[in-house]
Amino acid sequence: MANRYLEIFCREAEEHLASLQSGLLVLEKNPARTDLLHELLRNAHTLKGSARMVGLADISAITHTMEEQLKGMERGERKVDAQAIDLLLRGADAVALITSALMRGEAPELDVERFVAEYDRGELGQHLTPEPREAQPEAISDTVRADVKTLDQLVNLVGELIINKKRLESKLDRLKEVTYALPAEHAAPLAEFRGDLEEDVLYLDYLIQELHGKAMGLRMLPLRTISDGLERLVRDLAQQLGREVQFQIVGQAIEMDRVLLEGLKPILIHLLTNALSHGIESPEVRAAAGKPRRGTVLLSARHQGNSVLVEVRDDGRGMNPAGIKAAAVSRGVIDHREADGLSDEEALYLTFRPGFSTAEIVTDVSGRGVGMDVVKKNIERVKGGVTLASEFGSFTQVTLQLPLTLSVLDALIVACGGETFAIPTTYLQEIVKVRASEIDTLGSGEVIKVRGATTPLYSLSGMLGLSARRETGDLPLSAVVLKHCDQRIACVVEAHLGYSEVVVKGLGKQFRNVRFLFGATILGDGNPALILNVPDLFESGRGVQRTPLSAEEVQAAQRRLKVLVVDDSITTRTMEQSILVSQGYAVVTAVSGEDALEKSAEERFDLVISDVEMPGINGFELTRALRASEQYRETPIIIVSSLSRDEDKRQALQAGAQAYIVKGAFDQGLLLETVQMLIG
Amino acid sequence: MGDDNSYDIRTILSQMREEYWQALAEEETEAKETVECLVFTLGGKRYAFETHYACEVIRVPKLVRVPAVQSLIKGIFNLRGEITAAIDIRPMLGLPQPEIGATGRILVVRGDNFTTGILAEAAHGVQGLCFENFEPFTSGSGTKADFVRGHFNLEDGNVILLDVEALLADPELLAGEA
Repeated sequence: MANRYLEIFCREAEEHLASLQSGLLVLEKNPARTDLLHELLRNAHTLKGSARMVGLADISAITHTMEEQLKGMERGERKVDAQAIDLLLRGADAVALITSALMRGEAPELDVERFVAEYDRGELGQHLTPEPREAQPEAISDTVRADVKTLDQLVNLVGELIINKKRLESKLDRLKEVTYALPAEHAAPLAEFRGDLEEDVLYLDYLIQELHGKAMGLRMLPLRTISDGLERLVRDLAQQLGREVQFQIVGQAIEMDRVLLEGLKPILIHLLTNALSHGIESPEVRAAAGKPRRGTVLLSARHQGNSVLVEVRDDGRGMNPAGIKAAAVSRGVIDHREADGLSDEEALYLTFRPGFSTAEIVTDVSGRGVGMDVVKKNIERVKGGVTLASEFGSFTQVTLQLPLTLSVLDALIVACGGETFAIPTTYLQEIVKVRASEIDTLGSGEVIKVRGATTPLYSLSGMLGLSARRETGDLPLSAVVLKHCDQRIACVVEAHLGYSEVVVKGLGKQFRNVRFLFGATILGDGNPALILNVPDLFESGRGVQRTPLSAEEVQAAQRRLKVLVVDDSITTRTMEQSILVSQGYAVVTAVSGEDALEKSAEERFDLVISDVEMPGINGFELTRALRASEQYRETPIIIVSSLSRDEDKRQALQAGAQAYIVKGAFDQGLLLETVQMLIG
Repeated sequence: MGDDNSYDIRTILSQMREEYWQALAEEETEAKETVECLVFTLGGKRYAFETHYACEVIRVPKLVRVPAVQSLIKGIFNLRGEITAAIDIRPMLGLPQPEIGATGRILVVRGDNFTTGILAEAAHGVQGLCFENFEPFTSGSGTKADFVRGHFNLEDGNVILLDVEALLADPELLAGEA
């Protein structure tokens, strides 16, 4: 058979036909069981839709008639009697005849045109042979159908294999340590054994990787499997709407997880329907605007990192930010004040708000139209993101970012609230270090600048309702910048622990309604880590605590303040260093004024503490030199000296030091107080 | 040897026979009325449920805390690749909650909808408990007893029989916002 989409259709049809047949036979025996009608309707409706997708007009017509008959029964307008059921069964038989002929690549033994016409009039197709043909020897196919659940289990088991292999590897390392501790005569044979074992584990690793690739591959299908039907959809829709459209598809061979692909199909149907009915103008309007009469709709797919970008772009009338704002206000989605505060780009995203879309597109192709909010929900369900771009009058572009698969994700592993979380990289923009001086307050919340954009800063552990457990000592404050649609937020985490490909595991029914979580994975140490469902973090409307930074986190932001300690005495250096480190400051030491100048040129210090009497340049000269440089013009400098004469103090202040501490009266409280007073 | 020390072999034999039959009869009646139960400690008291609910008993592994769920879900753990919840049912039973220490165990139970792990202070293994000693729960005794079927009066104290089905069907066990 030439067209494998037809093959897929035929297999699908078989299922629906079997279900129709058995349902109808039950109904024939118990005409009172009208509860069956709904399922039968669904079968007929799906068949109709699928037939349309592959361009089988005859089947589509027959199933359409069946659907009408069933609807009549459901509404009680049509009697559920033997005759009516017979008629339905004849319809199912005819469809079966056509599909089985298609499978064999032959013409059906049925005057299809005549049957369709008669069937439409409600006549029994008398010429249809009710006896099924003699059983044909089943064509031996080189494919088998597999349950997605079974594939999931397979992928799951391979994931377990990976984890177990990691354990074997760590055992090998331990064996190495044990070998080192043995006397040579015992160590030699053990080392040889270990070498052999290592080779075995390496080979096992290779096999597991192959197996993993194959198992994942089983779930992948090219975009072509759904895009072929879309061409037909666009063609029919264009005719119906009186548009002239050139539909291009780029990247049909891009493969994606089949579950994702199934989720993508209704989204694309919706976007294309939008592009044609709201985007592309009529040829006359286009001509008047100086555009080619024929509009272009481009569906393209390409890889980007470990995700797939799918774009739908039309060169139609574009989106009008002002119009969208007005519509959103009139529909009560936002109020005037909010509307005024929105940029043009932000306005585009109003179309995603529930309640925005009121225009119901009713066509017999896509059925009852749904709003963009449903599109967004569907994309979130498959862990994707969506971005909009448009220029009023010239184009609209919707970009979907989707993971390749839902069973293995690329994730950033972070520590937060004493636990480990995985953040899918599709939502990750970047990792930033946050300095206390970079945190601003805006309204009641904290913000930082990320690439020039003001971004709200939250505590991830606070948002998740976990108590922050900072065990990371004097590590600087890290934040992950997350993106979702047009929004960005920065979330403070304790530490990031690197990128990893994680095997996604479901949390089971007990966690069906859980928030913030998409699933879990098992890390190399055998412990689980939760995978965050990032869109939940953006939904402040549903009562997510947009928690500001905890006191510890604020302190951590301050802690990273860097101090340069300059003293030729190792005792003083070590003492000052340990006092400052214990308070969370990062400390670098220098043994002389020259050393200090070199180090201060290499990195930026927030404070300098210096001795006066040192070999080479002394503390006063160092202070003057630092003051002379542009970088350290304003940096606080503390002089710590055993010289207690007023003359020395005066000289220090003249050189530009902010404070003078006498070593004789030195106590750590005074030093800390001074440091905190100067840099907080 | 006097008469006192002599023995009548017939009497002894008949005694032995009697004992033998009696023992047999006892065994039979007992076999009919015991129920195999997993016995464990919750809130300092002994509890039990029928063994057929229990999949396994394990040491408490590292529990990963789950955000935004009710407090009785103490965390999740890896049960041979399956992510499983560890739950503390003591608040549901109105029990005190002493720290789960080194003797602590997780009793993995399989319900209709999900498998979950019940945290217990200790597990005492499987015992055959005799129905003769069972007292069904009667209302009015003042204790919180939604998930209790009754208790066994044993020589060394009471063992309370949990209603696992009622417990697992309780919506409070389903993770969601507290």
